[in-house]
Amino acid sequence: MTLLHPFDADDSPGRPKVLLVDDDEVTLMLTAVALSDRGFEIIEASSGELALNMLADLTPDMIVLDAMMPGLDGFGTCLALRGSVGFENVPVLMLTGLDDEASITRAYQVGATDFFVKSTQWSLLAGRLRYLLRSARTRMELERSKSKLARAQDLARMGSFDWRNAAAQGGGFGGGQGSGGLALAPEALRVLGFMPNDAVSLRQLVRMVPMPERHGLIRMLGDVQSQNTVLAVDVPVNLPDGRPRIVHVEAEPEFNEHGHSVGYTGIVQDVTERRVAEDRIRHLANFDALTGLPNRRHLIWRTERALDQARRLEHKAAMLLIDLDRFKVINDTLGHAAGDELLVEVARRLRGCVRHSDQVMDASIDAVGARGHRSLEAVGRLGGDEFVALLPEVQDHSDAERVSQRILESLREPVWVGGQECFVTASVGISMYPRDGETVLDLMRNADVAMYSVKNSGRNGTALYSSMLAGRGREKLVLESALHKAIERNELVLHYQPKIDVRLARMVGVEALMRWQRGNTLVPPADFIPLAEETGLIVPLSEWALREAARQAKVWSMNFGFADSIAVNLPSRMFERTDLVEHIHACAVSYGVPHRVIQLEITENELMGDMQKIIPSLHRLNEIGVEISIDDFGTGYSSLAYLTTLPIAELKIDIRFVRHLGDSSQSSAVVTAIIALARSLGLRVIAEGVETLRQMEVLHRLGCGVMQGFLFSRPIPPDELERWHQDTVLPRKAPWIVEASLGAVDSPRGVVGRRP
Amino acid sequence: MTSSNNARIRAATVTIETTASVAVTSPASVPVPGSHSVLNAQALAMLAQLDPTGANKLLSRVLTTYLLSLARLLGQLAQARLVSDIATVRLVVHTLKSSSASVGALALSAHCGSAEQAVREGRIDALPPILDLLGVEAVGVDAAVRQLLTAG
Repeated sequence: MTLLHPFDADDSPGRPKVLLVDDDEVTLMLTAVALSDRGFEIIEASSGELALNMLADLTPDMIVLDAMMPGLDGFGTCLALRGSVGFENVPVLMLTGLDDEASITRAYQVGATDFFVKSTQWSLLAGRLRYLLRSARTRMELERSKSKLARAQDLARMGSFDWRNAAAQGGGFGGGQGSGGLALAPEALRVLGFMPNDAVSLRQLVRMVPMPERHGLIRMLGDVQSQNTVLAVDVPVNLPDGRPRIVHVEAEPEFNEHGHSVGYTGIVQDVTERRVAEDRIRHLANFDALTGLPNRRHLIWRTERALDQARRLEHKAAMLLIDLDRFKVINDTLGHAAGDELLVEVARRLRGCVRHSDQVMDASIDAVGARGHRSLEAVGRLGGDEFVALLPEVQDHSDAERVSQRILESLREPVWVGGQECFVTASVGISMYPRDGETVLDLMRNADVAMYSVKNSGRNGTALYSSMLAGRGREKLVLESALHKAIERNELVLHYQPKIDVRLARMVGVEALMRWQRGNTLVPPADFIPLAEETGLIVPLSEWALREAARQAKVWSMNFGFADSIAVNLPSRMFERTDLVEHIHACAVSYGVPHRVIQLEITENELMGDMQKIIPSLHRLNEIGVEISIDDFGTGYSSLAYLTTLPIAELKIDIRFVRHLGDSSQSSAVVTAIIALARSLGLRVIAEGVETLRQMEVLHRLGCGVMQGFLFSRPIPPDELERWHQDTVLPRKAPWIVEASLGAVDSPRGVVGRRP
Repeated sequence: MTSSNNARIRAATVTIETTASVAVTSPASVPVPGSHSVLNAQALAMLAQLDPTGANKLLSRVLTTYLLSLARLLGQLAQARLVSDIATVRLVVHTLKSSSASVGALALSAHCGSAEQAVREGRIDALPPILDLLGVEAVGVDAAVRQLLTAG
């Protein structure tokens, strides 16, 4: 070690202290003087006994002993020295006669560091002493560095070992016969759970490896040995006390001067904690913390592996994108904790639908052979309520559809969350490799397109991807972004269809219908309202419509004294908004029109679907004078009991019943019933979709006097409506006015619904 | 080394040579080694080098110590020869060998070496003549050292 250290400095004193032991006073005196002159500090002792006594309170850097002395001679003194604590390693120089070979041999036997022939050549003696001191210091440093290494290894749960070759020892790594060639340092023994003095054979060590791994290890050791390669492997072992640990073994081959391998030298290290931590990190990085399923990153990794295999073996694979339906509602109503609970349970059920395996390593895919990729099959969570099932090998799409069916089936059972039963469904989109994409991202995107098509067609189902879906998807995307800008660009317009009281032959209100003036084309509501509902754009659209209706009412009132109401269609979600009333109020106030100028239409289905949430709004609207009309009445399943309590003003007979009036007796029966119901509840009734005079005549006769439809006017822009009113209604020119007038004169009691 | 020191050592050597020649001409029955100096000048010079200025009086301290040691060891040797204590003989000659060499009494050191080797090799019979020679040489050395001390 070259590290300069304060401790090291202490070990190299300016004047090394030498204990000089000789019974010959002359030699003692001369040697002392000579060595003092040469930089040594000399302590003299004239006998071995005296020297040993002096060492009780003296620590010389080295001792020079005359071999032959009366009483305790140099050999005896040296022997005694080596046996006493603290002097095991102090350098001892034995002085002998030139021709005294026996003494030289004996000097080494009793532990002398070196010998020197007695002479008066003091410089030689001094040189030898310096050399001894230096080597002693080097040796001490070596000892210290060895013990430091041992301590460091101990801290690192590491220890060295040496293994001599089979050629010399008659046994191989592979655990053949005998293994006397294995030498483990005490630290290595401790790593492996043995005592420092235990004799451990290679075979014993190999047997500590549990069975599935043992064969692989033996094979590997054989390979490494036969090719003289470096060994570096993590091995699971069961220590003698039964504790399972993971030991890292790293060794490199050693060669003799002929270049033949003679064995291996290396270290063993307990890496259990590190491996556990690594496993934990890997798990955190690759698995979803909530459900324990593979996360997006890991799924992509798995899918890439699966696609590699599919490409190589030329088979198909499938990806299923599973999205829970209306999960947000559960989260919002029951809370996030319940939502999480639900996700965990769903994850558990989904796992049961595939041959899910958690542990996948690079090696295992190749190791298990041709069918190894099947271990990639898994369900993962992409995030939120989105899951993916990866099927690494399928015959065709029907396999994937079967799995999807299994998934939908598994969700049929209610889930208990937050102390109550929850019903959850899912929309599943399937994409197939290679037909629908060759990369993970393509497959994911296309599965997504397929999944959305399920959502659009009522959820709780499965769809296979097709390019047609994709086309529609793209179109929709473009439409959506354009719709976003439609409001700010003033591309939205309201067209109006008049409501006519045929008995009085006059307009009693209008219905506002939204149109989107997109460039030169007028987009009908059916083409963008569903998208607006889906994306949430319906809210700003509806708010705009209310404001625009109020503005138009003001314009008309000034232009021709319009004092009726404009009916605006609103989706149920608008009624759920607590600020609806405030918004209508603000619109009315800012244009200086009464609240009742705005009438709201809601379809029967929407009303019945979310009635509990809507009713409070209806009451508040009613209080400020805004009337509610039930659109498409007769098509849903209205609870008549509710109908009696709802604050509504008007029922609109659906176009379907009107269309067949005069052709089918059933239609007139339904219309008659609706009119009777309205009458008994004190509600107004209006028929929409009136196209012919005959329909008008029948409705009139059944007792419905207010109607709208192409017979009177199609929905038209506001200025056109103004003109129409001016040119048609006021001069009483239209054919229906004649008819109506006739009817009204002809049959004044027709309004009460006389049967035909 | 200072020139005065060199001169003194040279003087000592001359004196010793004189003493040795006296010994040669003495009527002693033991043969005396021929033309060697009792104390080797080079060895003495090396001793002098250990105390170049002479400030520590090292030379006289060493020689004094040597004389005392020589007398003690010779006594021990005589005693050991009397009781045939070979082990003690060996220790004594071993010690005397190196201390004599240190002060330049190389002949005496060589006799000690021969005696030690004889003991080590178990040639006990060869020991008495060697020890006799050793004794004679020791007398010469003792005298030479004393002279040197006096001169110093």
